[in-house]
Amino acid sequence: MIKVENLKKSFGENDVLKNINAIVSPREVVVVIGPSGSGKSTFLRCINQLETITGGHIFIEGLDTTDKKVNINKVRTEVGMVFQHFNLFPHKTVLENIMLAPIKVRRISKEQASQRGMELLKKVGLAEKANAYPDSLSGGQKQRVAIARALAMEPKIMLFDEPTSALDPEMVGEVLEVMKQLAKEGMTMVVVTHEMGFAKEVGDRVIFMDEGYIIEENIPSEIFNNPQQERTKAFLSKVL
Amino acid sequence: MSFRWDIIFEYAPFLLKGTLLTIGLSVSSILIGTFLGLLIGLGKIMKNKVLAFPFYSYVTVFRGTPLLVQIFLIHFGIVPFFTGETNAVTAGVIALSLNAAAYIAEIFRAGIQSIDKGQMEGARSLGMTHIQTMIHVVLPQAFKRMIPPLGNEFIVLLKDSSLLCVIAAPELMYWGKAMGSQYFKVWEPYLACAFIYLFLTLILSFVLNRLERRLKTE
Repeated sequence: MIKVENLKKSFGENDVLKNINAIVSPREVVVVIGPSGSGKSTFLRCINQLETITGGHIFIEGLDTTDKKVNINKVRTEVGMVFQHFNLFPHKTVLENIMLAPIKVRRISKEQASQRGMELLKKVGLAEKANAYPDSLSGGQKQRVAIARALAMEPKIMLFDEPTSALDPEMVGEVLEVMKQLAKEGMTMVVVTHEMGFAKEVGDRVIFMDEGYIIEENIPSEIFNNPQQERTKAFLSKVL
Repeated sequence: MSFRWDIIFEYAPFLLKGTLLTIGLSVSSILIGTFLGLLIGLGKIMKNKVLAFPFYSYVTVFRGTPLLVQIFLIHFGIVPFFTGETNAVTAGVIALSLNAAAYIAEIFRAGIQSIDKGQMEGARSLGMTHIQTMIHVVLPQAFKRMIPPLGNEFIVLLKDSSLLCVIAAPELMYWGKAMGSQYFKVWEPYLACAFIYLFLTLILSFVLNRLERRLKTE
């Protein structure tokens, strides 16, 4: 579903991703872990090219999205993304946040967008907040709206960039719950997170990154119980 | 010497005519200046430095030279150069609009750049184009933040329109000056003008306050 080949990314002199190769299969949940500054968020942001990549190729469903002829906006409609800081539109209500892109990009009618939006809000348990503005919501509620907003485009893949890192501890659970539900429904997901419990429970595969490289990848039980690399061991001993 | 109310009443029709022209000059310059300012502001934030350069230069020139000098250049130089004759009202609108556009461009630029880049990323990640994101996400939020500085600029522009009396555009200050020279009076004409300008700027700030409150989200 996603194939990353020799991906490189530099910010000026600073090489953040050095040579990344990875494959994500359909319906798979891949969790990316690693210390801060290891390049895991940049890796995720390169998949939908919010970062302009320096070298390599990214194939999504066989299509080389790094090809200049490919319309990246079209690709992004198939790849939803959830951000650490939600990035909801504060001048629009919760429902309008969800309806905007389907109306403007998918060109569906307002009625259809609103109906679909309400279904998604019910799914994330926030139907009663449809007409509230994002600033009146808690962090956990905001993130659930952000997930609903991304789902409204009916993407084939969902990217999560540290979705719970900006939340108060008591709100982490409600967001993870929605993500678990999504995984159960068979969504293909790539999740950058510090929630090791989520990685163990929901991840099909865990990728450990450090200093711009993928150091190790395996099924969660192997990574957490039987890490092969020294750096993986060192990292896990600090976070577990 | 007593305050001559009678000459103010005598001049009232002219002051009214002048006030209407002052309003007309200001409103048209605000509209043209805002439109140009938006384009110039967007031009200035283009990533391509070569393309952005003319917009930078525009702001440098129009912000760096006195409005009075611009009024003279446009009235006696630029307008006659293109049309062979000149007209104080046309030249006045051009001068005020071009001058205000430079300041408004900076207000737009600052307003747009004050919006968190996560807003752009959030919208782009949904497949919206750069232009769609600007129109539906960035500009509406930026506009709300721009109302106070825009209000300032509109008030400055309204007051600066009084400079046009030097090229004999028959706006409010022009009639004040005429009244002063006819009767050799200072207090009556200029206090009358001052009160009318104050009244106009009060109305303008009232309207802008209302607009700002209406756009507030909780």
